[in-house]
Parts: sequence; C-alpha cells; structure tokens
Amino acid sequence: MDADASRRQLVAALARVAGGDRRALRIVYQDTSAKLFGVCLRILNDRGEAEDVLQEVYVTVWRKAATFDPTRASPITWLVAIARNRAIDRLRVTAVSRRMEPIEAADAVSDPAPAALERVELSQQHARLAGCLEELEQRHSAAIRAAFLDGTTYEEMAERMRVPLGTMKSWIRRGLLKLRACLEA
Amino acid sequence: MSDDPTIGPAEGNQLLAAEYVLGVLGTEERRDVERRLAREPALAREVAFWEERLGGLADAVAPVPPPPQLWSRINAVISVPPPPVAAPRRSRPSLWQSLEFWRTFGIGAGALATASIAGLTYLGVGLSTAPPPRAPPLMATLGGAAGQPNFVAAITATGDGLVVVPAALLTNDPRAFELWLIPVGETTPRSLGLIEPGQPIKLTIPPDLAARLTPDATLAVSLEPPGGSPTGAPTGPVIAAGKLASL
Repeated sequence: MDADASRRQLVAALARVAGGDRRALRIVYQDTSAKLFGVCLRILNDRGEAEDVLQEVYVTVWRKAATFDPTRASPITWLVAIARNRAIDRLRVTAVSRRMEPIEAADAVSDPAPAALERVELSQQHARLAGCLEELEQRHSAAIRAAFLDGTTYEEMAERMRVPLGTMKSWIRRGLLKLRACLEA
Repeated sequence: MSDDPTIGPAEGNQLLAAEYVLGVLGTEERRDVERRLAREPALAREVAFWEERLGGLADAVAPVPPPPQLWSRINAVISVPPPPVAAPRRSRPSLWQSLEFWRTFGIGAGALATASIAGLTYLGVGLSTAPPPRAPPLMATLGGAAGQPNFVAAITATGDGLVVVPAALLTNDPRAFELWLIPVGETTPRSLGLIEPGQPIKLTIPPDLAARLTPDATLAVSLEPPGGSPTGAPTGPVIAAGKLASL
C-alpha cells in the first residue's frame, strides 16, 4: 500500500474510533503499534515501561480520537506525538537516573536517522526536515535529533555531549530557530 | 523559555513550543505549556507546527512489534462500559486500614513491608493454621506483563477479606494502585479499593463481591490517578493480573 492510501485508511479508522468502533481501534493498532512501541522503547529503554505506556497511548487514542483533525495533522504524526508525550512524562516520573552513554556529535549523526535507503521513503515534508537539519551546524542538529529520539532534558543532553548546560541550551535553541526559518522558507 | 539575551521575546513562544515538542523541558515546564495550550491558540499553532515537522525524526526509529498480549490488555480497558452509578468504595478509607489479620497470625506489618515472594509461603502457613475455614483458601499471584509476580492476594479465612502483599519492588510511581475483580463469566472489572505497592494491606470485601471471589475469578491491579480511578473503571495501565485458585 502506498503512503497516501495507508494515510487515508488510518484517517478513516480514526474517524470510526471517534464513533466508538473498537474494531477500528484494532486496525489503528495493527498499523501503528510497532512504530509507536519502537518510539516508546527508544525513549524509555525498558520493555515493561514501554508496554505500559503503549497501553496508555491506545486508550488515549480511544478516548481522544474525536480531537484528531486530519486537515491539520497527519494521523501518524498525531499518534507519534501522543506516544512521545506519554513516554517522556513516564520517563520524568520514574526519574530513574538512566545511565546515559556519552555520545559525541559524530556518533549521533551516524544514528540511523537519515539513512539513504530510508530517505527514499520519507514524505516530501520529512525530506525537507532532513535537508534543513543538514544546513545546521553538525553538533546542533545532532543534539536536536538525539533530544527528540531519546526525550532527554537539556541537563541530560549537556551531560551526554559533555558541554556546559548553557552551551547545550544555546546549541539547541539556535538550531531550532534556524530550523524554523528554513522550514518556513 | 529562553534566558539567552540574544533571543528576543517574539521568538520566545516559538522556542518554548519547539522545546516542548522536542522534549527537553522538565515535568513542571511541560505542564505549564499544556495549561497554556488551552487558552493560547498561537502557542497551540506553534506546537502543532513543530509536531508535524519534527515528527519526521521518528522515522529513524525502527519499528518493534509489541508483545501479542498487549492488545488484550488494551481491549480489556476499552471494553469497560461507562462508570456505574454507585460510588466507588475507595471513598471509605477505613475499610482497608484494618490489619487484624496480620496481628492474628503474629506477623508484624513492618516485617511484611519488606516481604517479597517469601510472604507467599508465610501467608500460606498462616492460612492453613487459621480457624477451620469453610472452603480451601483461595489465592492469586498477580503477575506483570513479563510474567514476574507483582502481588500475592489471599482471601481471609472469614471469606470477606482480601490480603494483598507486594511481591516485587515496584517503581516509585506516584499514581494510585487500584485492585479490581473480574468475576467468572463477567467482563466488567469491579473496584475492590486501593492497595499499597510497599506494604501488605487487608481489604474488606462487601458480601455481594465476596461471593464472587471464586476460583478462576481474575484480580488485576491498574495504575490510577491519586485517589483512584475517577470513572469507577480502570483508566490506567494494568500492571498485574492473576486468577484465584485453591491452595
């Protein structure tokens, strides 16, 4: 199924979920749970926690499907945002000081993120994001990418990349402002 | 929000939205942003902008199939009909503050606070030496998704109480732990009250539900907002479940 068709199917299923159709939630789950579980697992780094959060995510989808507006967001973006928000909140609550592997900027860039093969499948918008990220200073884009994928705070990012907190905030904020200008251009 | 003097206030909201979506803010800052979203459409638009644009970064994450039983857990939660009219029993906290059961068997609550699965054995001994029960004692081991025991529950000799002992050290989660009964042949979880993750507790079960504490009835524990589920049905993740069985 091509990206457009799968998006349409997901939008239709979410509309049925909003109407209380449990089979439609099952369809949404089948289509997206591996993706969202991967996202939760990456942030929480703990299968049990990720499973709990994934359960919360689909219960949230069940209850809030009516608030999804297909004219403003793509369904997978909406679902990923719910999953990330839940996972990040859980991460902050458990407050278990996860042992972070220090990462160098170069390592973060070699993250699977913009792998050539996958980029073919990126939508136009995602390709644009990748292009804009490439225009940033390498360490800024590395910090932004790592923060997004791992749900880390500024403090943790500073520790991981071994720079002062102020420097990390400055990297990410400048990177974000430049990214925004590029994305809007 | 920015404390960098070279970043102007006009950029502040854009940045705050981006920082929120990126996930670098602490819990309090996150709640602040969420409160503002409801009344500041401009901020909400910024958050939507970043969610849509940054969302593409998630493409870097490899999909991981969740365990097969997870759908059943989700399906169980969403299958619960609207909350019953009757007030949940948790509004009577004195019900589960009675620990006579433990004193009866000379087991200090303090010692049990640290009891792990060993408590199960001890409990078994205690029950078997109790005044002659009318029926074999019923117990349940409530396991988590990975099969590890999280709680052990046993019906008291009088049949109208349920003792719940934590069998594992659970995360220091601020949410409430609520115990549910799903009687045999039924699908609706009935709240039995709140339990403690760090210490044994005895719940008094009203007669209509005590009669349903039968072999193969399911007990489950869900995480709920402080004070317990606001709806009378489980709203949070189920962290442990198990069936009652004779010793």
